[in-house]
Amino acid sequence: MTALLALLLAPLFSGTVKWLKARLTHRQGPSPLMEYRNLAKLWRKVWVVPHPTTPLFLLGPIMALLGTLGALALLPVLPGLAFRGDFLLALYLLGLGRFFQMLAALDAGSSFGAQGSYREGVVTVLAEPGTLMALAGAVLLGEGFSLSGLPQLGVENSLVLLLALASLALALLAEGARMPVDDPTTHLELTMIHEAQVLDHSGPLLALYELAGSLKMLFYAGLMALLLPGSKPLVFLGVVGAWVLVLAYLETYGVKLRYLRLPDFLSYNTLFGVLALLGAIWRF
Amino acid sequence: MSPLWTFLPLGLAVVSAGTPWRFRGLSLSLGLAGLAWVALGGMGWALGWGAPFLYLLLLGALTLGLAPYLPAYLAHHPREAHLYSLLIPLFLASMAGVALTSPGFGFLFLWEGMALLGYFLVALEGPNALVGGRAFFLASRLSGAGLYLAFLGHGHLGADWVWAGLLLGFGVKAALFPFHAWLPQAHPVAISPVSALLSGAMTKLGLLGLYQSQYWFGPPPPWVGWALVLLGLLGAVYALVRGLGEEDLKGALAYSSVENLGLMLSALGAYFLKPMPLLLGAFFLQQVAHALFKGLLFLGAGALEERRISHLGGLFRKAPGLGALALGGMVAGAGLPPGPVFLAEWQLYQGFLQGPFLMPLAAGALALVGALALYFYVRLFGLAFLGLPRGEAGLHWARGMRLGLGALAGLLLLVAVAPGLVLDPLGIHTYPNGFLLVLLGLLAGVFYRRIRQLPQRVYGTWDCGFQPLTPRMQPNGLGFAEPALRLFPFLRLRVGEHPRLEEPLAEVYAGVGRAYSRLAALVQTLQSGSLHLYLLLQLLTLVVVLGVVLL
Repeated sequence: MTALLALLLAPLFSGTVKWLKARLTHRQGPSPLMEYRNLAKLWRKVWVVPHPTTPLFLLGPIMALLGTLGALALLPVLPGLAFRGDFLLALYLLGLGRFFQMLAALDAGSSFGAQGSYREGVVTVLAEPGTLMALAGAVLLGEGFSLSGLPQLGVENSLVLLLALASLALALLAEGARMPVDDPTTHLELTMIHEAQVLDHSGPLLALYELAGSLKMLFYAGLMALLLPGSKPLVFLGVVGAWVLVLAYLETYGVKLRYLRLPDFLSYNTLFGVLALLGAIWRF
Repeated sequence: MSPLWTFLPLGLAVVSAGTPWRFRGLSLSLGLAGLAWVALGGMGWALGWGAPFLYLLLLGALTLGLAPYLPAYLAHHPREAHLYSLLIPLFLASMAGVALTSPGFGFLFLWEGMALLGYFLVALEGPNALVGGRAFFLASRLSGAGLYLAFLGHGHLGADWVWAGLLLGFGVKAALFPFHAWLPQAHPVAISPVSALLSGAMTKLGLLGLYQSQYWFGPPPPWVGWALVLLGLLGAVYALVRGLGEEDLKGALAYSSVENLGLMLSALGAYFLKPMPLLLGAFFLQQVAHALFKGLLFLGAGALEERRISHLGGLFRKAPGLGALALGGMVAGAGLPPGPVFLAEWQLYQGFLQGPFLMPLAAGALALVGALALYFYVRLFGLAFLGLPRGEAGLHWARGMRLGLGALAGLLLLVAVAPGLVLDPLGIHTYPNGFLLVLLGLLAGVFYRRIRQLPQRVYGTWDCGFQPLTPRMQPNGLGFAEPALRLFPFLRLRVGEHPRLEEPLAEVYAGVGRAYSRLAALVQTLQSGSLHLYLLLQLLTLVVVLGVVLL
């Protein structure tokens, strides 16, 4: 259920961010609904098969989308599946998508794809432990070891949940390939992470990648919505709206970090994760 | 365990010797698996006495893969083929014996026999293998020393000393962190079927030993549990980081074995501290999964004539079957969802999070291991199987080898679809993994077919319009790993014309090896060939023994 909602919402989300960024720099900008048309156009296009490629080239975008959708299906924003330990499966389904995406980037045999691939690997190594610990801390405070039993922000658990929220926010920026970590609009090979991986994919394959990219951000936004009090679907829409503003602001006025500075930035993610988990253990 | 069991696999080996390998391997594997099946007989293997039979099943499964593989492989590697086909059944039998025997003289005999046979199997491969063989041999001595301490000291020394001996004795075999260094030296130099057996089965016997020790020698003191958790996780992270810089494909696989063994050791340690069925499930399921996927990958590496990652590439187009099988093995190895290794890690996470004191923090280390394993296997598969070929190295991919790999892949799939085969006797229920696997496979298949039918055109990879791409523009093995290696400064990366990774631990072990050699040389002076000296030594021994007995 959540996956379907997110699927409908994803192009609107990325479209609105683009529109708002344009408005903030005093440009007209494309309509927020442009992304839907863009995806439809990409789907109809002839796609290019670079000649040294294998079935993995096609499997990459498919698995990236399926993995992200699978993770979203486990989010109880709308009622859906829930079982003990579902948060672990959700994070690792994202990992499955990332695995195939990194392989597909290596498949065309260009140096760009490979650069993007190992940079993505480093971002994962830096971001994954903190995210998991933050989420685990929140889950430990809740019931049933599941996303559906997550606690909501209140006075007694504010510290742990705020730390977890901060960590998830940093994870969204890193995993969604957004500004301080990666620049989604860049085409300068020295700085690309996500774009370098999808460089050789065109037409319907690119459409799948773009969809998967926005869906991944919605996944983290959904996780944050679960920790906030209120009616879940409404809170989810609110968090997504807030992220539109934050991303547009960050990418208009912010700068991208140097690649070698990433460990400094993402160490905050790990730190928040460790503190959230410690807080959950000692209940402070 | 009755000593009678020990003779069954030995008998099997003797009976099967003399028939051609084709039938011998099959009969051995069926024999082992059948024996385990009959003995288990629905009783559930998780009970104290049932666990060893799980290892018989594992040995049987690996042998099922080896049976068609080995003749095809040895036909291409005729060196010492007859010796291999004699030693491998003996090695299998000794491992089965170790699994079934309870501690005592018989156990030590089989254990040392296993180590000796393993040494021959590693060192047979030629002068290059001698270094690895020596590392294996030294590790077996260390392991033996630990076991003698524990077995002889039981009842005389305190539990602390006994368990220290057990940790050393079984831990060295199971590649416990500071003692893991022998494994990446020994496994890659042996021929591929032997690597598969060493990594898939022999290392697991160390784990079985530690698990059974709680029944043999009484419950472990708490420090043992903490040591296993800490060293296991430390070893897993260390091995993955070091393995990221490894150039040899089989060497990298060996480091991945150290990682997996580290996770299993930490699961066992956590179980010692807080006995939860989840942790036991993680411990056993990961062993089954690791034996199968690592057997698959090592056997697959045996099909390549060139094993240096920076000289491979584009293998998928050359041998799509091998590529698909290896991809399956590597998805499992990276610990990704529909694979059984993920199921094991999934239980381990939950076990850690419910653990005592600060153990939940171990979940963070586990997540780091997961992310590194992803990077690690992308590097292996991406650089070796995808992209442009970086050399003209040949491929030996005969029908028997396909059968062998296919058998192991089928068993791996079976465990992924029905993990209950391993977990049900422990009373653990997981989410329906088989359903997830089928659903993902179906959806991916539908998408794949649909997009395949859309209009497309074949064209060269985009080369920026300057000059055509050459294979050398792809990153090499060390280049791909470098950004991650920078994050872990305990390994020194030497850049320059011949970049390489330096491991501080290797120097320590080289020193230990030299000291051992010097000691051995000292002892060797006694072997002068002089009858007088020997008589004198015998007299002295007699006097000392009498003195000890009488006083």
